Amino acid sequence: MTTLIEAPPTDGEGLLPIKKKTSGGGLGRYILIRFFLIFPTILILVTMVFFLMRTTGDPITAALGGRLPPEQLQERITAAGYDRPIFVQYFEYLAQLITGNFGTTLSDNRPVSEMLATYGAATLELTINALLVALAVGIPLGLVAAHRRDKGPDAGLRVFAILCYATPVFFSGLLFKLTFSVWLGWLPVAGRATPANELALTSLASPTGIYWLDAVRSGNMAALADVMAHAVLPALALGLLTAGIFLRLVRTNVIGTLGKDYVEAGRSRGVSEYRLVTKHAYKPALIPIITVMGLQIAVLLGGAVLTETTFEWKGLGFQLATYLTARDFVAVQGIVVLLAVIVAVTNFFVDIVAALIDPRVRY
Amino acid sequence: MAMNKKALQSAIALAGVSAFALTACTGPSGGGTASGSAAGGGTITYGTTDKVVTLDPAGSYDAGSFMVMNQIYPFLLNSKPGTADSTPDIAESASFTSPTEYTVKLKPGLKFANGHALTSSDVKFSIDRVVKIADDNGPASLLGNLASVAVKDDSTVVFTLKAGNDQVFPGVLAANAGPIIDEEVFPADKLMTDDEIVKGKPFAGPYTIESYKKNELVGLKVNPDYQGLLGKPANGGATIKYYADSNNLKLDVQQGNIDVAGRSLTATDAADLEKDSKVKVYKGPGGELRYIVFNFDTMPFGAKAADADPAKALAVRQAMANVVDRDAIASQVYKGTYLPAYSVVPDGFVGAIQPLKEMYGDGSGKPSLEKAKKAFADAGVTAPVTIKLQYNPDHYGKSSGDEYAMIKEQLEKSGLFKVELQSTEWVTYSKDRTADAYPVYQLGWFPDYSDADNYLTPFFVPGNFLKNHYENPAVTDLISKQLTTVDKAERSKVLGEAQTAVAKDLSTLPLLQGAQLMVAGKDVKGVDKTLDASFKTRLGVISK
Repeated sequence: MTTLIEAPPTDGEGLLPIKKKTSGGGLGRYILIRFFLIFPTILILVTMVFFLMRTTGDPITAALGGRLPPEQLQERITAAGYDRPIFVQYFEYLAQLITGNFGTTLSDNRPVSEMLATYGAATLELTINALLVALAVGIPLGLVAAHRRDKGPDAGLRVFAILCYATPVFFSGLLFKLTFSVWLGWLPVAGRATPANELALTSLASPTGIYWLDAVRSGNMAALADVMAHAVLPALALGLLTAGIFLRLVRTNVIGTLGKDYVEAGRSRGVSEYRLVTKHAYKPALIPIITVMGLQIAVLLGGAVLTETTFEWKGLGFQLATYLTARDFVAVQGIVVLLAVIVAVTNFFVDIVAALIDPRVRY
Repeated sequence: MAMNKKALQSAIALAGVSAFALTACTGPSGGGTASGSAAGGGTITYGTTDKVVTLDPAGSYDAGSFMVMNQIYPFLLNSKPGTADSTPDIAESASFTSPTEYTVKLKPGLKFANGHALTSSDVKFSIDRVVKIADDNGPASLLGNLASVAVKDDSTVVFTLKAGNDQVFPGVLAANAGPIIDEEVFPADKLMTDDEIVKGKPFAGPYTIESYKKNELVGLKVNPDYQGLLGKPANGGATIKYYADSNNLKLDVQQGNIDVAGRSLTATDAADLEKDSKVKVYKGPGGELRYIVFNFDTMPFGAKAADADPAKALAVRQAMANVVDRDAIASQVYKGTYLPAYSVVPDGFVGAIQPLKEMYGDGSGKPSLEKAKKAFADAGVTAPVTIKLQYNPDHYGKSSGDEYAMIKEQLEKSGLFKVELQSTEWVTYSKDRTADAYPVYQLGWFPDYSDADNYLTPFFVPGNFLKNHYENPAVTDLISKQLTTVDKAERSKVLGEAQTAVAKDLSTLPLLQGAQLMVAGKDVKGVDKTLDASFKTRLGVISK
C-alpha cells in the first residue's frame, strides 16, 4: 500500500496518479453500509435533542414556569400529555416522527411539518448559495496561496482565511449591509426579494420555495436578477465563514502534493508551474475538501440562524430564533431534528462522492 | 519555479469572479427593481413591524390584525379619510330609531369576493359571532352594551342596546368588532385559520387578499365590487411587507424598496429619517398609549398569591406610580417622540384630565421616593418587593427594551423593588397575558375610534380586554354613565370622574402617549390623508 502512494502509476504525461481499485471492498457494499448507518445516527441525534430539550422540564413548564399559576400550569401540562413518563413520550414521539408528524407548534398552533416545509426551502437556498461562495472563494485562493507559498500573497491569504473563519456572521453581515447597501447602495438590505417579485414568486401554481428556481421556472428574469441581488450579501456573509477553511485546506493539501516525487519529476521535466498546480496537485487535494464539505454543511446550517436573522431571510434559522424567543420547544425540536437529518443525509452523499473519487476510503 | 504571470492573473481573476459572480449577474440593486415593478402595476408597498395575530375578526384586537382587516372587510360605518367621524360605509343609512334601537340599512347589491351576496343576515352573523366566541384576544368587550341583533329584512338590521343613547356605538361598529364577514364561510362558534379565510375569499372591503404569507407578505388586489365610503383605491393594488427588525424597515424605505413605512420605527430612526432628502416623515394626531398592566390575581400580594393582601397589592402599585419617571423615559429613550401620560385617557381627547400628575410623585409629574416609601409603610409592605415585569420586544418597537430597562433601573434604584425583567415574542405574548402568565406587564393601546371611551370600556369594566381580574362597580357605573350621557359638558365631567377613580385603583399604570408616524418616499402621495384621528391605516388613499 505504501508503495502505491509513493510511486503511483501515472497518466500519459507520467505525472497524475491513476486511481486503481483496491482490495478493500466494492462501492455497493460501502454505500449500503453507509446508508444503514444513517438511521442510528439520526436516532441518536433525535434522542439527544428530545432529552436535552427536556433537561429543564416539560415544554410547558419551560415556557410558562413561574409565570402561570401552578394549577393552570398543571392543566396545560396534562392536556398536552407532558405529565406522562418521559420514555412513553419519547417512544410516542418516535412513532410520530416515523409517520412524518412533528407535532404542533405551541406558540402559533400550526403543524410543525407544514412550518418545516414552508421555511426549509429558504434555508436550503441560502445554504447552497453559501456553499457556492465558499467553494468559489476558498478553492482558487487556496491554489494561489499554495503556489505562492511563504511569499507575500500567501501570508495575506492566510490572514484572510483566519479572518473569514473568526469573524462572526452577524458582524460580517452588518459590515456588508453597511458597506454594500447603506453606503454604496449596490445591494438590497434584507429579505429574499423585493415585495413585488416575492409576491409574484409565491403566487405561482406550485412554487418550490427556492426563489431562483421558481423565477427560472416561470421565466421571470427580472425576478431572478432581483432574487440573486438579495442572495449576494447573505451568501457572502455565511459562505466566507467556510471559505476560510477551504482556503487553508486546499493550500495545505496542494503544498503536500506539490512536494510529491511525481510532481518534482514533472517539474524537472519542465512542466509549467501553472499546470502542476491546476492539473496534478489540485485533483488529489480535492478529496479531503469533499469530506470536509459534508461537515461544513452543519456549520453552514448553524450559521444560517445568525445570517437569516441579520438579513431577515425567512427560513428555518429565522424561525428557530423566533420560536426560541417564544420558548416554543416543540417547534424548536422539529427544526433541530430536521437540520440533523439534513446533515446526516448530506454526509451520506458526501461519503459516496469521496468513495467514487478515492476507492481507498471504501470498506 | 518562476511564476507564470498569466497563470497567476488567471487564478486571481477566477477567485475574484467567483466571489462576486452573483453580484455581477444581478444588475441594479433591489431598490430600482422594486420601484419599477411597483410603479408599473400602480401598486404600493407598505412595510411594518406589526404582526397579524389572526385575520378572524372574532379573535383579534390588535393593531397589526386590524390594519389588514381595514383593507379587506367592509364595515357598516367608517370614517372618511381626514376625519374621525363615523358615517355609513356599506350602509345606506344608520341612526338611532329609538334610544335603545340603532337601525342600519344596507346598500343594495352588496357581495363578497367569492360571489356570495352580503345581506343583513351576514351582519347579524358577524356581530353575534364576536359575542358568542368571546375569544380572550377578541373584541367582544366592545359590544358590552349590545342586547341583541335582529334582521328586519335582507337589507335592514336593528341593534338593540342595553343602555339607551349609547354615544359610542356607531364608533364601535366602525371598530374591531365591526368587520362584516360571510356567514357561508366562517363557522359560527369557533375561530377560522388565516389560510382557510384566504381560501374562502369572504372579502368585501376595498381590497381582496390575492396571496398570503402570514407575517411575511400579503398581496392585496383592488376589489371592483366594493361600493363603500372609501371608494376606489388610488393605487392599483397594495402589498404589505412584515419586518422583524425596524432597522431593515428603515433602510428599505430609504432605499425605495418599499413605498411607506408604518409602525413601528424607533425614535432614533424617525429623527434620522427627517434629515434624509429621499423620504418624507409624516406625523399625525397621536392616540397611542403605553402602560403597565397589573394582574390583580398574580401580582405581588394579588388575590391568588399565597400572601394575598389587597391593601399591600395597592401599595405596590402606588409605589410604582410614585417612583416611575416618565419624563426621563420620554426624553432619553424616545427622544421626545412620546410624551409623559398621566391618565388612562391621553391628553387632548375630549374629557381627558391628568389625575396621576397630582395623585402620585411630587405633584408635578416627577417621581417621589418619599411618597413611595410612605405607601409601603402605610400598608406594612417590606422592601424590596420582587416584580416579574414582562415586556414585548417585537410589537411595540425595538425601544421597548430600552424603555423597560429604564423602568427596571428606576424601580430598583428606589430600593423598594427587585425587578426580574422578561420578554416574549408577540404572538405568544398576546396569548400568555390573558392566561394569567404575566403578573405585571407592558401593553400599548392604539385606539379603535377617536373617543375617550375607547380608553375606558375595553379596560376597566368586568370581562375587559385586559383580563386582569380588575373590577370596581363604581368605576363600571361611571363608564356606563358617560356612555349614555347625551349632554357633552356633562359627559366630559363623568369621563373625568371615571379617570380619577381608575387612577386611584391603578389597574394600569399609564406611562407615555405618542404620535402616529409614517415615512414614505418623495414620490408617494396621500399618506397624510390616512394619519387622522380615526387611527386607521387606509392603504387605498396612498398612491404614487
